[in-house]
Amino acid sequence: MNKRGVTILELLISISLISVVILLLLKLIFSLDNINNSKEYASEDEIARTTIIKNIESDFLKLKLMGVRVKSLDKKVIITFNYLDRAKDLIIEEKSLSYDNQEYKLNSVNATYNLCPSFSYKELDKDYYLVNLNIEVLIDGKSNTKRDDIDLFYVDLISDNVSYPRDLECSK
Amino acid sequence: MKRGFALLETIVVITFLSVSLLLLYGTFSNMISNSKRNLLYDDASNIYKVYYIKEYLGLDNFKVNGDIEEIDCDGLVSGCNKLLDSFEVENMYITYYDLKNYDSDLYSSSFNNYVDSLSNKGDYNYRLIVEFSDSSYASIGLVGGNYE
Repeated sequence: MNKRGVTILELLISISLISVVILLLLKLIFSLDNINNSKEYASEDEIARTTIIKNIESDFLKLKLMGVRVKSLDKKVIITFNYLDRAKDLIIEEKSLSYDNQEYKLNSVNATYNLCPSFSYKELDKDYYLVNLNIEVLIDGKSNTKRDDIDLFYVDLISDNVSYPRDLECSK
Repeated sequence: MKRGFALLETIVVITFLSVSLLLLYGTFSNMISNSKRNLLYDDASNIYKVYYIKEYLGLDNFKVNGDIEEIDCDGLVSGCNKLLDSFEVENMYITYYDLKNYDSDLYSSSFNNYVDSLSNKGDYNYRLIVEFSDSSYASIGLVGGNYE
C-alpha cells in the first residue's frame, strides 16, 4: 500500500486525544496555581502565628505576667497584659493582630480573627494557677480547626498581686 | 511508504506522557503528605505547653528507667491531672536525647515517625515528648537533674 500522510480519521482521533490531555493538564495547572496561592497565604499566616505566640509567651515568662484586662470596642478587642513593671496591649481586629508595636496581618482570604476571645483562669492546686487565652481563627465566619488559633497559656504561683478576669464579656 | 504519523504512534506518545505525569503526581503527593504530617510536629503553642508541663511537674529531676519511659501523674504534684486535661495531653514520654535504637514495635507509628523527624543537635541528656489528643507532638530537651 502506498498511502501518504494521515487519513482524516487518524487526524481527528489524534487531535481529540491530544485535546483531552491538554485539557486535563490545563485543569491540573490551574488547580496547582490555586493551591499554591492559598498555601502561600497559609504559610505566611503560620509564620505570623508562630511569631506572635513566641513573642507573647516570652514576655509572659521574662516580664512575669501579673494580670489581664480585656476591653471590647466596636470592631476591635484590646487585651492588656499587666507585667511586673509595665503593660503591653494586644489589639485584635478582624484581619490583624498588633502586639508590642508590630502588626501581624491575616493574609488568607476567608480567614478572620474571632473578636470574642475565650479566657479561662483555674487553680491547679493550692499554690499554682493556669490561665489560657484563645483567639480563634474563623474560616468564612465559622469555627475551624484549632490548629490555626492563637492559644496562649501561663502557669505561675497564686498571689494576692495577680488579677485576672473570671470570664470575658464581649460584644459580638 | 507511509508518511506522517500513525494512530499507534500517537497512542504511544500519549501513554508515555501519562506515565510521566503519574510519576510526577506520585512524587508531589508524597511531598504534600510529608508536609501535612510535619504540621503536627512542634507547634509553637504546644512547645510552650510542654515547657509548662516540665516546669510545673519538675521533670528535670525525673528518674528515668530505660531508653523511653512513659510517664503519668502517679507520684507527681496534685494538680498534674488538671494541667494535662487543660493541655489535652494524651501521652508523655521521657527519652534519651540521642535516641537511636529502641524497640519501635512497642510504640505507635505516629510516635515512631515523630522520633525519626527529631534532630539530635543540642546539649541535652533527655527529651520530654508529649502527644496531644489531636495526634500532634511536641518536645523539649531536658538538662541537669538526677538521672539514673
